[in-house]
Amino acid sequence: MTTEVPQQSSIDVRQWPPPPPGWPVTAPTRRRPGRHSLGATRQPDPSVTGILRARGVRKVYRSGPHDVEVLKGIDLDVDAGELVMVMGPSGNGKTTMLNCLSGLDEIDAGTVYVDGDEIHTMPDAMRTAQRARRMGFIFQSFNLIPVFTAEENVELPLLVTGVKGAEARSRSRAMLERVGLASRAMHRPNELSGGEQQRVAVARALVAEPAIIWADEPTGNLDSHTAAGVIDLLEQVHTSGQTLVVITHDRAIGARGQRLVQILDGRVTYDGTPAGHLDTLDAPGSATRERGL
Amino acid sequence: MRRAPPPVSEACEVVLWVVMAAALVLPASDFVRHASFRRLALRNIGRRKVEALLIVGGSLMGTAIITASFVVGDTFNSSIRDGARTQLGPIDERVVVADPLGLPATEVSLRDPKLPDVDGLLTVTWTDVAVASIHADRRAEPNLRMAEYDFPAARRFGGDVASTGFGDAGPTPVGLDAVLNADLADKIGVAAGDRVDAFAYGSRLRLRVRQVVPELGVAGSAGIFAAPGTIERMAASATATRVGRPHAEVLVSNRGGVFAAASATAAVDRQLAERLQADSGVRIENTKRDLLADARARGDSIGQLFTGIGMFSVLAGVLLLVNLFVMLAEERKGELGMLRAVGLRRNHLMRAFGLEGACYGLVAAVLGAVAGVGVGAAIIVVTRGIFTGEASGNVTLRFAASRSSVVTGACIGLLISLATVYGTSARIARLNVIAAIRDHPDPARSRRERLVWILGLTGTAVGCLLLLVGLARSVPLLTIVGPPLTCFALMSLTGGRAAPQSAVPLLATAALIWPMLAFSVAPEAMRGASIPVFVVQGVILVAAAVTLLSRAGGTWSRASDAVGRAGDAFALSAGLPMRLGLAYPLARRFRTSLLLGMYALVMFTLTFLAVFAGIFAAQEHDFLRDVRAGTDIVVDSNPANPVDAATLRRQPDVADAAVLLRAGPEFTTRIHPTPTRWALTGFDATFLRRGVPSLASHLARFADARATWEGVLHDPSLVVVSDGFLRRGRAPVGVRVHLGDTINARNPATGSTRTFVVAGLIDRDFVFNGVLASRSAVDALMGPGGALPTRAYVAVRSGADPVAVAARLQGRLLANGVEARPFTEVVHEQTSQQIGFFRLMQGYLGLGLLIGIAGLGVVMVRAVRERRRQIGMLRAMGFTSAVVRRAFLFEAGFIAAQGIAVGVVLGSVTAYQVLANSSTFGEQPLPFALPVLALITICAVPLAASLGAALIPAAKASRIRPAAALRVAD
Repeated sequence: MTTEVPQQSSIDVRQWPPPPPGWPVTAPTRRRPGRHSLGATRQPDPSVTGILRARGVRKVYRSGPHDVEVLKGIDLDVDAGELVMVMGPSGNGKTTMLNCLSGLDEIDAGTVYVDGDEIHTMPDAMRTAQRARRMGFIFQSFNLIPVFTAEENVELPLLVTGVKGAEARSRSRAMLERVGLASRAMHRPNELSGGEQQRVAVARALVAEPAIIWADEPTGNLDSHTAAGVIDLLEQVHTSGQTLVVITHDRAIGARGQRLVQILDGRVTYDGTPAGHLDTLDAPGSATRERGL
Repeated sequence: MRRAPPPVSEACEVVLWVVMAAALVLPASDFVRHASFRRLALRNIGRRKVEALLIVGGSLMGTAIITASFVVGDTFNSSIRDGARTQLGPIDERVVVADPLGLPATEVSLRDPKLPDVDGLLTVTWTDVAVASIHADRRAEPNLRMAEYDFPAARRFGGDVASTGFGDAGPTPVGLDAVLNADLADKIGVAAGDRVDAFAYGSRLRLRVRQVVPELGVAGSAGIFAAPGTIERMAASATATRVGRPHAEVLVSNRGGVFAAASATAAVDRQLAERLQADSGVRIENTKRDLLADARARGDSIGQLFTGIGMFSVLAGVLLLVNLFVMLAEERKGELGMLRAVGLRRNHLMRAFGLEGACYGLVAAVLGAVAGVGVGAAIIVVTRGIFTGEASGNVTLRFAASRSSVVTGACIGLLISLATVYGTSARIARLNVIAAIRDHPDPARSRRERLVWILGLTGTAVGCLLLLVGLARSVPLLTIVGPPLTCFALMSLTGGRAAPQSAVPLLATAALIWPMLAFSVAPEAMRGASIPVFVVQGVILVAAAVTLLSRAGGTWSRASDAVGRAGDAFALSAGLPMRLGLAYPLARRFRTSLLLGMYALVMFTLTFLAVFAGIFAAQEHDFLRDVRAGTDIVVDSNPANPVDAATLRRQPDVADAAVLLRAGPEFTTRIHPTPTRWALTGFDATFLRRGVPSLASHLARFADARATWEGVLHDPSLVVVSDGFLRRGRAPVGVRVHLGDTINARNPATGSTRTFVVAGLIDRDFVFNGVLASRSAVDALMGPGGALPTRAYVAVRSGADPVAVAARLQGRLLANGVEARPFTEVVHEQTSQQIGFFRLMQGYLGLGLLIGIAGLGVVMVRAVRERRRQIGMLRAMGFTSAVVRRAFLFEAGFIAAQGIAVGVVLGSVTAYQVLANSSTFGEQPLPFALPVLALITICAVPLAASLGAALIPAAKASRIRPAAALRVAD
């Protein structure tokens, strides 16, 4: 893990984000022996620091008789407040890494700690609760719920974590205002432009104040001008202390991060500052380049 | 499968073939000539085989229902027609000779010279007898025919020995020998060599069974065949003054086979009439033609009834098909937009999409027709269980399905599918390319708006016109259809510049209220509303209610918002899934309306039938009170030896007996000028001694029912008739007799006539008394020999069991051929059959419900696919699989519950309207009552089945792995 990136905020990762009202903050209460109850927190591993810690993560896709090993032992640490850009050619495992490290997908080997909790040993319900409390997602295709208005889309992560309706609505409105879409709050996704939809997606990812936001090609469907607006927005979010992991193909966007992680053939082949490395991304031999550790 | 005559004429079948061929030209030509269309259609079908199967499964129900209706008609038609083979054979006409002594002369006059279209004549003498076995467990048949034939002549009759049934019957019986047909032998349990007792004219004759012949042709025309002269000897011993005399007839066989010969009846009837014009003592009866016409009428009638009720299910099938195609189009919106972008014209897009639907439709039509035969067979099995005894008309239902019916069912099913598919495809093909590709809403189109204006204004004008005509001419159908048509036409103008969207709920409410108010607002115009009017009323009500509900999304949204955002444990476990579950159906109004309509239509009819079944069940006691006239048993006896009142009164536990005269003259009325044989019953003061049958209505000059009966007793020009007068067989349906109407009666034996005025109407004629007049009036028309005292109403002593007394009467008065039936049994049997018929119809409609449930299942399966990405996102955001599963179940439950509620409420309202405003079920209004238990079942079973149908898709949705769903998307 790079030590060059200074902490952007003085927030104690153990205390942040603040738990939603009514959320248990004490040691976990097991409802049944040997089974994790939904919403309960587990005692974090005190030896694990940072928002995210992944070690030796392997992922194999099985398609008929063929096994394709997409991740071949990913090690990655992300500290609170970091803005990590993940780059690499298509088909080399960037999105799979995001899915595995965020708990959206299972892994075949390795460990992933989020906020000190090993998420892949949890049952699905608890991992889902972890995502609700600690993660936000932004995708290339926006993935807004078409039958809900912008405001309703944004308040969903709050409702699922038990925030009461009035508060959820007010926080949703505030978040839409923050992303510049207060006037479009009552519009449905198909009444919004691509840029607006993505800003709603950003608002939705932010609204529950997650520990980490995962963004997979957030500007992939947008023109350069709109894309720049979205990236500006993400930078603002980062500036306020939010941890972000952004997958992108765009070097200009990659250059705006403090830290660049390059994925090649299912491995982290570079982890360091973007400066000076972006130009060599596609150069011969870059795949064998040592990680900047 | 037995061969059956086609219920749809061959000309109609040809027209259907031509129409179907024309309808298939476009898809067939596209399939052959356009490889790209073919590839698109076939590969899209092959891509999702299970869904393709579900679509075909949903679509084939409509064809199955139509085909089943035809097959049921075939079976009734064929079974009744079978009587022509089993009871008539070569007998086409009967020349009835009033005086048996004149029989030889009549036969000679017909035989020489030979009539051109006749190939055989046969004389017969017959009478009504009771026959009983003589072994220990004595079994009797109280009323059947004994006939005397010359067996060799009978074998020659008609030129086809096999069709006479006498092929192996041997010589004509002599002495005390008799030949029995198989049906009678089976009923009384005798075989060749056994002895039987025959009772008639007060005497008993012990006969030896020489042989048993099959019930076929001439051998099926009577139960027992005796030696010539037997009947005359028995009649000679008669001591009673009023007994039926032996009947003498010349049977006529037309040229041609058993069924084809009936087509010559008109010509033969003319030839017979010419030959017999000098003979006033004879009359000609076209027995076979009448039987076949009756078979056709009853087959068509029952087939139409099933088709009419089944149309609700067919309509549900059409809605399902539209829904499926709209979903398909939605799913492939981007793909369709791209096809347009790369150069496919709208017309091409419609044809490419339509070709896929045509493939589904074709397969569904073929499979549906086959399934329809199976459904028809199942209906017949159930019907056999319901219709037994007297009310079945002694017809044994034998399953039959004609090629014509199966083909016609398939053709209609396919045409409905093609019309639905191409109509929906045309709508889909109007998509805006950019909007489709970018998943944006379609922009408004000015050309379409013009068309909407034209159609909307035309519809409005037509609706107003229909109302005016309906009011002016008192046509209930037009009166009830007009205003809703105007409302729906005006609705089509909303949303554009013409009218605001907010007008829709108002217009839908108006369309909903008018059919309910019409009976009060325009009573004159709505008078005489028949069942079809109420069916149309139901469809209008359902359409209006569904439209109204589709606009009530805001209310549901607010309710689900309130629960979904409560923020407590309940909100997380139920409120949030509810909010998600409601969001989709509320947002997709068109699709939801189609599903709602599908459910509501079927539930509407189910409820309607359930209410009537419940009311009939509850009314059994009242029906009994209405019909029994203070007595307990109805007794029918052998015309050749009728039992008299004194004999009946002497029987143990009999308190009183009133004997009625029975006759069968021909009747005509102003609106029914065709002479039709109908029962005429004559009563005297004894009939009114213990009470009177209830009347639904009577002339105003009589104070009450008793006064009316007394009036009829003392005035020979007055009669009481049942509401169903002249409404059987070939009588036109809907032709009703009213108070004060004049009816004409004619004695066919003597030609004497008499005119009666209807003084009272009976709602339910359970024992088929027909027209009731005083004995003197009946005697005046029929003469002493024309009306016989063969019916009696018997009252039992207090504390005696009518069932036991009836059984005892049958045993003790066997010589009189007594059939004694307690009124409780008569009423219960017929009420049960009526209720059974409603239940059968409900079962039949269950098919429509299957369409609805299967449709909902298919829609939910497709919804899972359509929303895969969104489900992935919800799961990524932290929605648990349980929340996703519950959301799908809420969605299915919400749609089903709304549809069920709409159907049940409107079905109940319409049933109430029918009871309050229609005389379809009798002049006397039946008290309305909701069958709560039946309605709970009707609601619970479909709701549970709908949730069951949604369980698999819901589980599938909950198992979607977020990474996989999002990977597909990105």
